[in-house]
Amino acid sequence: MNSPWTPDSAEGAGWRAEIRSVFRKELRTELRSRSGLLSALLFSVSTVVAISFAGYREPLPGSLAGGLLGAMLIFAASLALSRTFVVEEDQGTGDLLRLMARPHAVYWGKTLFNVAQMLLFGVAISALFLLFTGLEVMLPSLFALCLFGFCVSLAGAVTLSGALVAQAASRSVLAVVISLPLLLPLIVVAIAGFRVAFGEGTFGGWPAGFGLIGYAAASLAIGPPLFAEIWKE
Amino acid sequence: MIAARRLGRRFGARWIFRGVEFELRKGDALALVGANGSGKSTLLRTLAGLLRPSEGEVTLPDGDARRTLGYGSVESQLYPHLTAAEHLQLGGDLRGIAPNIEALLAEVGLQSAADRFTGQFSTGMRARLKLALAIQAAPPILFLDEPGAGLDAGGRALVARLAVAQRERGVLILATNDPEERRLANLELALDA
Repeated sequence: MNSPWTPDSAEGAGWRAEIRSVFRKELRTELRSRSGLLSALLFSVSTVVAISFAGYREPLPGSLAGGLLGAMLIFAASLALSRTFVVEEDQGTGDLLRLMARPHAVYWGKTLFNVAQMLLFGVAISALFLLFTGLEVMLPSLFALCLFGFCVSLAGAVTLSGALVAQAASRSVLAVVISLPLLLPLIVVAIAGFRVAFGEGTFGGWPAGFGLIGYAAASLAIGPPLFAEIWKE
Repeated sequence: MIAARRLGRRFGARWIFRGVEFELRKGDALALVGANGSGKSTLLRTLAGLLRPSEGEVTLPDGDARRTLGYGSVESQLYPHLTAAEHLQLGGDLRGIAPNIEALLAEVGLQSAADRFTGQFSTGMRARLKLALAIQAAPPILFLDEPGAGLDAGGRALVARLAVAQRERGVLILATNDPEERRLANLELALDA
């Protein structure tokens, strides 16, 4: 007689189902714990309010506005997204996931959840920023392109660096060493795009926007093979 | 079904174990015994593929490790914000098998706790759910690390029942120092501290 738990017909449900399962787990966990969401929200709202008070009645130059918006998005990403893999090791669930899932499914499930989360943060933080500072976006399509590219790039880069350092002993030091070269070029390109979108100058805006899209694609593409190497150790 | 050849694992310069050799056939149950710090859990993790060996090799049966290996450990944890049923659903989805939630929860005596978050579980309830996850795919090879830790008499009887079922299905390897659990095995491997 077979055991009551003898597995049956669902074998080979495939990559998409596995990625969807990891995504759903991340979503449920975040909605129920709200740890990343709340810290990102607290940081974003307090920063926007502080900037609006500091620059009261003083119009922000486009490059400064782009820099501030970029910095806010980077900090929101660091607060909310960087712990995606680290939390698995800290709470001791890493082994459970390693035994049940293929590395690519884990990587894509978590990364896509972070992309979705970061796009949500991007829209919410930008709306708050524009509302409180009274800034006008002169080129909305360029602004949307830069915001999309920057948010996806951030999600890809921060998730990748989190995955790489999660199992390391000197996690904090390693995170800085890996994140800095990943994030610095990104913020420079994003400022160039946002600056033009806010109406300061005309040169380099669209190339910066497309550069961010390229960075986003690259950061998503290099993750899976790197992650597969380090996941089971 | 599973064999270890000159298996060794070190952390830095310190060897945790070295020169481990064995071969197990269907129906075998091997108890890894030894003092605290002798490397029982590390050996179990290495055999299960959670750690790479520093030397030697492990031969496992063909097939996808997600379905051929089961692993339950006192050290591994559950997601505190997921329910027991959601854990088994996740396990089924990721392994590409039917989750069999009701049957598994009934088997480990957690049917009334299906919709409770595991963060609210007692140590014994968590141990029972970890056992359910370990046997979910009916794996031919099952690794259990101190399976009776935190379990009451009913839980220990469950472990004994699962051990018998596992030996009918394949191989059981357990790390333990509990005399009762040692009796579940027909073979022993003693590790030096």
